[in-house]
Amino acid sequence: MTDTLSQDEIPADRIAEEPLTAGERSRRKWRPTGSGRATQIFKNVLISIPLILLVIWTVGPFLVTLSVSLKDKVEVFADPSLIPANPSLDAYGDVVRSDSFTTSFWNSVFVGLGTTALTILISVPAAYAFARFRFRGRHLLLLFTLLPRLVPTIGMMIPIYRLAIATNMLDRRLTLIVVYTSMLLPLAVWLLVGFFQSIPRDIEEAANVDGASLWGRLRYIVVPLAAPAMITVGVLAFREAWNEFTLVLVLVNSPGNRTLPFELYKLQGVEGVADYPIEAAFTVLTILPFIIFYTFVEKHVVAGLVSGSGK
Amino acid sequence: MAIPTKPVSKAGVTPETNPKPKPKSKGSWWQAKEPQRQDNSAIIGERKTTPYVFSLPAILLVAGLLGFPVLWGVWQSLYRRPSLGADPDWVGLQNYADMFASDAFWESLKKTTIFVTGSLILALALGLFFSHALFKVVGRFRFLRAVMIGPYIVSNVAAAVMFRILFNAQFGTMNQALEWLPFVDSGPRWLADPTIAMVTVIFTQVWTDLPLVILLLLGGMMSIDQAHLDAALVDGASGWDRAIHITSPLLAPQILISVVWISYSTLTGLGVVLALTGGGPLKATQTTAMEMYTVAFRNLEFNQALAIASFILLLNGLLTLAYLRIGRKYNYDA
Repeated sequence: MTDTLSQDEIPADRIAEEPLTAGERSRRKWRPTGSGRATQIFKNVLISIPLILLVIWTVGPFLVTLSVSLKDKVEVFADPSLIPANPSLDAYGDVVRSDSFTTSFWNSVFVGLGTTALTILISVPAAYAFARFRFRGRHLLLLFTLLPRLVPTIGMMIPIYRLAIATNMLDRRLTLIVVYTSMLLPLAVWLLVGFFQSIPRDIEEAANVDGASLWGRLRYIVVPLAAPAMITVGVLAFREAWNEFTLVLVLVNSPGNRTLPFELYKLQGVEGVADYPIEAAFTVLTILPFIIFYTFVEKHVVAGLVSGSGK
Repeated sequence: MAIPTKPVSKAGVTPETNPKPKPKSKGSWWQAKEPQRQDNSAIIGERKTTPYVFSLPAILLVAGLLGFPVLWGVWQSLYRRPSLGADPDWVGLQNYADMFASDAFWESLKKTTIFVTGSLILALALGLFFSHALFKVVGRFRFLRAVMIGPYIVSNVAAAVMFRILFNAQFGTMNQALEWLPFVDSGPRWLADPTIAMVTVIFTQVWTDLPLVILLLLGGMMSIDQAHLDAALVDGASGWDRAIHITSPLLAPQILISVVWISYSTLTGLGVVLALTGGGPLKATQTTAMEMYTVAFRNLEFNQALAIASFILLLNGLLTLAYLRIGRKYNYDA
């Protein structure tokens, strides 16, 4: 159905046409159906109020934090307005110069990249096997997709902690990478299996006839075609490692191995009057790198996020 | 996948060339995902061991670090150390008996109920409201969806700091706004007042969870057959009527999945509570998950804590069953 109709024309034979989903329809004809300019403006306002509320709900806490981070310790209490009278970046300077931030930042980067790499390295072949081969154990896939749901972090905490003590792996960044990877694998494999199955088998068979080996097909056909799904998996893995908080609290202790959420948690637990600008600046600096990274890959990720929501 | 921007199209593979889904089979709902071709090993020239080698690392890692520890934990909940550092003795169900005899446990269960119910109500109300609003402008304002995801990429600790600032009794914007109203003298002490602290925790938890709920519901709305809405329009139903009587019932699977998912996230969620209140003030926000953490890592009674953890796992298992039933009933694959 090519859309040659003007946007506000509702075709009389709409019902006879192939049914549109509500989403398609909305995209085609979004203008309110009222007559007259005033009605339209009114309806547009009516529609936009919830959207403005959504933006306030989402962005509000960010803005409040940003505002506090630009004030100084006294100003926070003296002048509670959202726009600081004389904004300064002193809090950011203090945070960036502190050991606790720089160390935990690089730890987070290390653990994040490590988790991403290991997750992709392990999940791609596994998903390929689940998607393409008929073998014993193929039905573990269901268990795979259900495990993270059956095993919330809260159930893993103590056993993983005891296991780490028993294997002398406590307080190591490598432990974090391995544990996060195992938490991410089910979702990663599940996403990739769905994607691999959507790659036509014929392409691979044709390549096989032309003499491509298994590795050749993986290298030149499967992996390039699955790049969007792999990006999604990578972002999800990085996000998990970057944000995970309860396990790192248990598995890591020494300041040299802490990640950003751990250090931020420690920061607000310090006795005495909390230094709100420092906390706020630390928070902003924790979130900002991921937001920057995320904006570059956002359009690849949203679809994957929804699939992940059920997990 | 519920959102229409499937990555499939980006890979340059048109949906037409996909293997068509298997027609209604007697298999379970999840099996519908499998390709229907019988010759699954049709790619010739493979060694029989290839799939095993490929999938073994993943299976081992998941079994070793997700499966085994949990089973071990349940097993260990039947033991107890007479003193710290001593070897554990078999005590059977004594840890569970102690758990059910403890006031702190029942109190935490009460708190959890409030936490789960409150989060459910707030998240569903806001989720339906916002997703309806977003649905009306599908195709426009694409940036809104990106903005809306925001809370999802923030760690629990960062969210806790942000809400601690937002809800601060002295300078928080929340109280500034409240005190601006003519009939409010001073806003509540959101985090220090035991009767209100739970409200603050619920707000924070829902803030972090809402993006996924909205995406889930929005995806459901996009897939609703337009004919239903057209028919209602012809019959003169107002926008509100359509939202209540048509869109929402047709959204049943997505709403139910959201319910299960929010319950899961609040029942087992520890991060927000721990970072925001640590269970306080006066144990007002001491949920069962928080109680488990306290017993384990503050009192160092690991075996007792494992009994609480096993109890949470049991409740969570029931939620998983509900999830599977919903999936099967609606043939819905989230």
